[in-house]
Amino acid sequence: MTSIMFLQHLANGISLGSLYALIAIGYTMVYGILRLINFAHGDIFMMATYFAFFGVFFGLPWYVAFPITILLTVLLGMSVELTAYRSLRDAPKISIMISAIGASFLLENLAIVIFGGRPKAFPTEEIFTKVIHIGNISIQRLTFIIPVVTAILLIILSYLINKTKTGMAMRAVSKDHETARLMGINIDRTISATFAIGSALAAIGGVMWGLKFPQIQPLMGVMPGLKCFIAAVIGGIGSITGAVIGGFFLGVSEIMLVAFFQSMTGYRDAFAFIILIIVLLFKPTGIMGEKISEKV
Amino acid sequence: MMKRDYYLTSISLVLLVIFLYFADMYMDAYIIRILNLCAIYTILGLSMNLINGFTGLFSLGHAGFMAIGAYTTAILTLSVDAKVQNFFLEPIAAPLANVVWPFFPALLLAGILSALVGFLIGAPALRLKGDYLAIATLGFAEIIRVVFTNTQNITNGALGLKRIPPYTNLWWSFGIAVFTVIFMALLINSSYGRAFKAIREDEIAAESMGINLFKHKVMSFTIGAFFAGVGGGLLGNLLGTIDPAMFRFTLTFNILLIIVLGGMGSITGTVISAFVVTISLEALRFLDQPIDLGLFVIPGIAGMRMVVFSVLLMLVVLFYRHGLMGTNEFSWDKFLKVLRFKRPLLKGGKN
Amino acid sequence: MEMLRTENITMQFGGLTAVKDFNLKLNKGEIVALIGPNGAGKTTAFNMITGVYKPTKGKIYYKGRDITQMAPHSITKLGIARTFQNIRLFKNLSVIDNVLIANHLHVKSNLFEALLRVPKYKNEDRSMMKKSMELLEIVGLIDVKDEKSSSLPYGMQRRLEIARALATKPEVLLLDEPAAGMNPKETEDLTKFIKKIRDDFDLTIFMIEHHMQVVMGISERIYVFDYGITIAHGNPNEIQNNQRVIEAYLGVDDNA
Ligand SMILES: Nc1ncnc2c1ncn2[C@@H]1O[C@H](COP(=O)(O)OP(=O)(O)OP(=O)(O)O)[C@@H](O)[C@H]1O
Ligand SMILES: [Mg+2]
Repeated sequence: MTSIMFLQHLANGISLGSLYALIAIGYTMVYGILRLINFAHGDIFMMATYFAFFGVFFGLPWYVAFPITILLTVLLGMSVELTAYRSLRDAPKISIMISAIGASFLLENLAIVIFGGRPKAFPTEEIFTKVIHIGNISIQRLTFIIPVVTAILLIILSYLINKTKTGMAMRAVSKDHETARLMGINIDRTISATFAIGSALAAIGGVMWGLKFPQIQPLMGVMPGLKCFIAAVIGGIGSITGAVIGGFFLGVSEIMLVAFFQSMTGYRDAFAFIILIIVLLFKPTGIMGEKISEKV
Repeated sequence: MMKRDYYLTSISLVLLVIFLYFADMYMDAYIIRILNLCAIYTILGLSMNLINGFTGLFSLGHAGFMAIGAYTTAILTLSVDAKVQNFFLEPIAAPLANVVWPFFPALLLAGILSALVGFLIGAPALRLKGDYLAIATLGFAEIIRVVFTNTQNITNGALGLKRIPPYTNLWWSFGIAVFTVIFMALLINSSYGRAFKAIREDEIAAESMGINLFKHKVMSFTIGAFFAGVGGGLLGNLLGTIDPAMFRFTLTFNILLIIVLGGMGSITGTVISAFVVTISLEALRFLDQPIDLGLFVIPGIAGMRMVVFSVLLMLVVLFYRHGLMGTNEFSWDKFLKVLRFKRPLLKGGKN
Repeated sequence: MEMLRTENITMQFGGLTAVKDFNLKLNKGEIVALIGPNGAGKTTAFNMITGVYKPTKGKIYYKGRDITQMAPHSITKLGIARTFQNIRLFKNLSVIDNVLIANHLHVKSNLFEALLRVPKYKNEDRSMMKKSMELLEIVGLIDVKDEKSSSLPYGMQRRLEIARALATKPEVLLLDEPAAGMNPKETEDLTKFIKKIRDDFDLTIFMIEHHMQVVMGISERIYVFDYGITIAHGNPNEIQNNQRVIEAYLGVDDNA
C-alpha cells in the first residue's frame, strides 16, 4: 500500500464518516430528548434520496430540487413523530419502540409500493461528481464537498443548540421533561423541532449519499441507519459531538478494514455491530456520554 | 375443580389429535402447509413472548436464532447426495459431508446451539438497558446473516440450501407447539416465572427484592433462544429451501406482530394471534400478486401486504396496546362461563 | 451488636453532592430515624446502603462485612430489605404475587426442578405460599390478596411494600417515608405496627420519615441531614432541642 493510496482511502473514509455523522446526529438528538431509538430515522434518510431523485427526474434543477427535498423530509420526520410517538409519550417504553419499528417498516414498504422495489439510478450532477487530480491522486469533488458541507452544518447546528431559544429548550427538555414543562417550555414543540433538525440533516446526508453512491432502493436506509445509531452509541448517545466522532470513527475504520483486509470485505456490514458490542462491553456510555443513573 | 380442568384439557388434546389425523389424511397440501406454519409461529411467538412479554427485555434477534436452528437441522438432515449437489461452488467441510441425522436429534441440537449462542450474546448484551439490548440483538441477527453468507463451505453462502428433507409434518409441528405451550405455562407459573415478571414490572424493585437480574435475564433469553432455534429448524425442514436472505428483520417483525397483537405476556394470546397472523399473511398474499379476473388482470403491488401489516402493528400499539389478551390467560372457568352466559370473553381476568 | 455501619459515604451526581461523609451505626434491635428537609439526601443514603447507587467515596459494612461494591440483590440476600418512597410495587401483578416474588431469593430448587414440579420444589412452593399468606394476614391485606396491586388504595400499597420487604427475611429493614400520605389514624397504627414487627421479626429498623409524631415516638436515635451533611445526631430529646436542627429543618418543614 502506497501512501497515495492510503490518502485516497483516508479521504474516502472521511467523506463516508461525514455522512454517518450527519445521520447519527438525528439519532442522538432524538435519543437525548425522548430516550427513544427512532428506528424510522434510516428510512427518513431513504425517503430523502427518493424526494431528490423525483425532483430532478421531473426536470427541476438540482439547486431547486435539493432544498425541496430537505423541506419534504423535515415534514416527513415531524409527521412520524406526531403519529407514531406523540400519543405514546407516557406509554411503556416497549410500546414506543414497537411503534417506532412499525413506522420504519411502514416507510420501507410504502417506498416499495410507491417507488417499486428495483433500484433506481440517482441523477449525478457534473459539478459534484467531477474527478479532480492532485498530483497522483484522483478524487471526486464530492469527496471534498461532503466533509466541507458537514463542517458547515455542524457550525450552524452548534449555534442553534447553544445560542437560540429553541436550542436551549432542547437541552432543558433532554435534562428533565417535568422541570422543563414547569419552566414554561412547550415540550411538544421542542420535540418536533428536534425531529425537524434531525430530519433536515438526514435529508442533506441522503442527497449527498445519493450523489456518492448513485443507486437508490427502498431498503437502502436500513444498514446506514443501524450503523449510524451505532456511531451515536460509540460516541456516547445523547452527545452531538459524540455522534460526530462516532460517525467519523466508523466511516474511516470501515473503509480501512476493506482496504487493508480484502478477505474481510464480506464482513463489512458485521463490522459495525462487532464494534458496538465491544464498546457496550467496555464503555457502555461511549466516548462522550455521561452516565445517567435513574433516580430511585 | 382441578379434576374437571384436567379432563377438559385431556379431551381437547384428544380432539386435536383426531383433527390432525384427519387433516393429515384428507386436507390438501397447501392447507397442511399453512397449519404447519401456524404451529411453528406459535412456537416462535411463545419464545419471543417469554423474552419480550414476560421478562420485559426488548430483544430483536429472533431471526438470528431461527437461522441458526434452520441451518443446523438442514445441514444435519440433508442426504449425502443432496449435500454434494448443493455445495457445487465449494465442497462442504469434510466433517459434515457424511453426517445424516434423524430429525429429532437434529432439532434438539438446533435448539441447543441456538441457546448456546443466545447465552453467549446475552451475557454481554443483557447487562445493557432496554434500547441497547434491542440494537445489540438486532445487530447480532445481522452478524449471523453476514457470517452465514460468507461461510461457503458450511452454509453454502448466499446460494442457500435446497432439497432439505421435508420432515416437518403436522405431528412434529403441533407436537412441539403443544409441548412449548405446556413448558411455558409451567415456567411462567413457577417461582422463576414470577421472577421474570417482576423484572418486567420494575427492575429496581426486583433486584431490591433479591432477584438476580442478570441471571434471570440470561435464563429467559437462553430458553427463548432454544425454542426459536427449534422453530427455525422446523421451518427449514418444512420449506425445503433456505438461504441467508430469508432471515432478515422482516421475520422478526412478523413474530413481534404476533406477540403484540396477542398481548405481550399472554400465552393464550400468542397462540390465537399466531394462527390469526399466519393465516392472514397467507390470505393477504393476493395483495402482492396479480389477480386474474378473466377479462383483465389487476396488477399486484409488491410490498402492499407488508404495508397492511405495519399499519396493523402501529394501530395495535397506538390504540389497543394490550392486544387481544393483555396479560390474561385462558382458563376453563372463564370459558365455561362464557358458554353458559354468553358474556363477553375474558373480562375481569386476573393475572 | 453492630448490624450496619457506614464510613464517610459520599454520593456525587455531577457537580451536586447529595450526601457527604455520612457515618451511620445501627445496633441490633434499634429503631433509628433519618430526617431532613426535602432534597437533603436521605433517599440517596438508602440507595447507597442497598447497592442501588455505588457511593463515590466511603465504605459500608454489614455485620462487619464490606458490602460497598455488592449488587443490590446480594445485599438483600444478606439481610437488608427496603421499601420505596415512591412505591415501586409490581403494579400489574396480584398482591400475593408481589409477596411471593420476594420469597424467590430463598428458593433452592433449580429451574428444571421447578419446571418438573419435583417434590422438593412443590414443598418450597407450598411453604412460600404459606409464609406469604401469613405476612398478608399480619399487614391486613389477606382479603385483597388476588387484587391487582396497583388497584389498592395508597395506604394498603404502603403496607404491601412492607410485607414484600419482610418476605425477603431481612435483619435490617429500611423504610423510606412509610407514613407519607397517611391520615392521623393510619399514622398512629403504623407507629405501633413498626414497633410490633421490630419485636416479632427481630429487626433493626432504619427509617426516613417526615411525620415528627412517628419519628419522636418510636426512634431511639435520630440522624439529621441538611444539604447532604449530617448536622446532628442524638436521641429525640437532644434533636428537638438542637439549635441547628431547629434552624435548618424544623423552621422549614410544615409537618413539624
Ligand atoms: N440519580 C440521581 N441523579 C441526579 N441527582 C440525583 C439522583 N438521585 C438524587 N439526586 C439528587 O440528590 C439530591 C438528594 O435527593 P434525595 O432523593 O436523596 O433527597 P431526600 O432527602 O430523599 O428528599 P425527599 O424528602 O424529597 O425525599 C436531590 O437534589 C436530588 O435531585
Ligand atoms: Mg426521599
